Amino acid sequence: MIISENTFNNITVIALQGTLDARNATQLKQFKSAAASTTSVVINLSEVDFLDSSGLGAIVSIARVKRAQGGDVILACMNNKVREVFEITQVYKLFDIYDDVEAATINAEKKHTSL
Amino acid sequence: MKTLIIIREQDYEWLDHFFPGIHPLLVPICNKPFAEFLIDFSILAGSEAIRLVMDGPLSDVERYCENGNRWGIPISYASIKNTDDLQTVIDKNQRFCSEDRVLIISGFVFIQYDKQYNYKTIFASLPDGEILSSNRGSLRLRGSRTETQHDMGNIPLSLLGFDSIDVYYQLCMEILNDISSPYVLPGYSNEAYCHIGRNVVISKSAEIRKPVIIGNNVQILADSIIGPKAVIGSNVIIDRESSVIGSIVLENTYIGEHLEVQNKIASGNILIEPESGISIAMDDPHLLTGIHQSGSAKSLFQSIVHRLAAILLITLQLIPFLLLTPILILQGKWKKSTNSYFTAVSEKYLILTTTTIERTGPFSTLAAALSLDRFTLLFRVLIGQLAIIGSWPVVATPSSITEYSKTKSWYRAAVFSYAETEEWPVNTGDTAIIERYYAAHGNPMKDIALTIKALLNRIHETNTHP
Repeated sequence: MIISENTFNNITVIALQGTLDARNATQLKQFKSAAASTTSVVINLSEVDFLDSSGLGAIVSIARVKRAQGGDVILACMNNKVREVFEITQVYKLFDIYDDVEAATINAEKKHTSL
Repeated sequence: MKTLIIIREQDYEWLDHFFPGIHPLLVPICNKPFAEFLIDFSILAGSEAIRLVMDGPLSDVERYCENGNRWGIPISYASIKNTDDLQTVIDKNQRFCSEDRVLIISGFVFIQYDKQYNYKTIFASLPDGEILSSNRGSLRLRGSRTETQHDMGNIPLSLLGFDSIDVYYQLCMEILNDISSPYVLPGYSNEAYCHIGRNVVISKSAEIRKPVIIGNNVQILADSIIGPKAVIGSNVIIDRESSVIGSIVLENTYIGEHLEVQNKIASGNILIEPESGISIAMDDPHLLTGIHQSGSAKSLFQSIVHRLAAILLITLQLIPFLLLTPILILQGKWKKSTNSYFTAVSEKYLILTTTTIERTGPFSTLAAALSLDRFTLLFRVLIGQLAIIGSWPVVATPSSITEYSKTKSWYRAAVFSYAETEEWPVNTGDTAIIERYYAAHGNPMKDIALTIKALLNRIHETNTHP
């Protein structure tokens, strides 16, 4: 899996590309911006072609850690394969999900400044 | 133009009581799922794409509507949180909403329209803002404004708050009674007030009194009377000398012989009196019952594999169990508790004795590492009461019934749980995530691999499960 990082509207966007499964869930959890606890991040899932329970667990655990310390994880551009996993597991109830990265960063920034 | 349909769980949760297991957007109105009425209207209004947005599950409706090919219009799906206001929903669907005019249908409302009317021109000329509203939702336009403005007074368009079973019943009866139906209804119709689906068998001595709508694969047996004002869903059997008058029979329902169903709604084994909202569940399968699909080959294969795995584990654990258990009982480290647990079948409970091992010495550590605390539960797998791997059994208490009813679609009480296999934190919410994942993605072979993983995890575990 390729993990890249960008900044839009002062919010870090982590773009994931490839397969997010047991083999690389730890790689995501240990990724610097994901591990940094207080800042919110947007995870761009448009290029994720497979997500399993471990990958899902990695996203949920990053969100749990961030929320405990005032940050958040916002998800953007889910493709149908990823959305199906979120739908089946009802994890969509835990996240703010946007269909556009820019809109996600604007709202993350708004949320961050209002705190 | 595009259409954004926003529906919230709180607006339709009342439906679950009457039609459990049926997605609110798939509830049939005169044998046509509610979602299809919304799609038809969106197309009439000139939409080129539809997005269904909900804070509840979408998978059933997605399976039904797919990508919209059937209607020649792309349909996409998005999830929101139940706390999101309209602006947040629009922000979350920014890409969908940004480039075009958007018709927003918000709330659990039935749009009363006329298929003959040209809404496309009207909507193209209406300004931004709310077009219609009711106590249960609204219809609004968002996007570029044009100069001309139409008077909404003459347009055949209104909203009906879909908020009670009586509204549902009256709506069906109203559609049934309309000679020039404003909606496209399913079935073959060569005369007014009568729509009949495919593969309908009507006995020579049966009587059909218009208006009626009959679905597909229906059997109406000798001397029965259907109508006036009857909606018979698909896969229904009306047994001999029964009458269905002023009533709705939903799909997969069997109406027994010599019955009079008048001004009621029958759904499976549930009979509803629309005006009062009172529903009763029939226990007698000769009177009224649901017609179920037979169990799939997959579940049979799964059950066989689980039983074989249980036999293998019993064989492997038998000698360590016989040797270590008496020692642990004497040491007081083998603690048993008996409780009533939910099963996968509603209103059926299972009395289980579960064991906890105190890991404080070499024997107890070894016993826990070998999962001997689960040994007795393996026999329940052999008789089909438990699965080898699935959900950790939920203790049946009055307070846990509501929580259980939300989970029963995937709940499968088991000896080992998916959550402990994947080492997910064992709190209710997170455990449910992993159980739902494997309920959808699991297969018998994967279950065996996960059971082995669970056994290996137990070696490193510091505590046993409660």
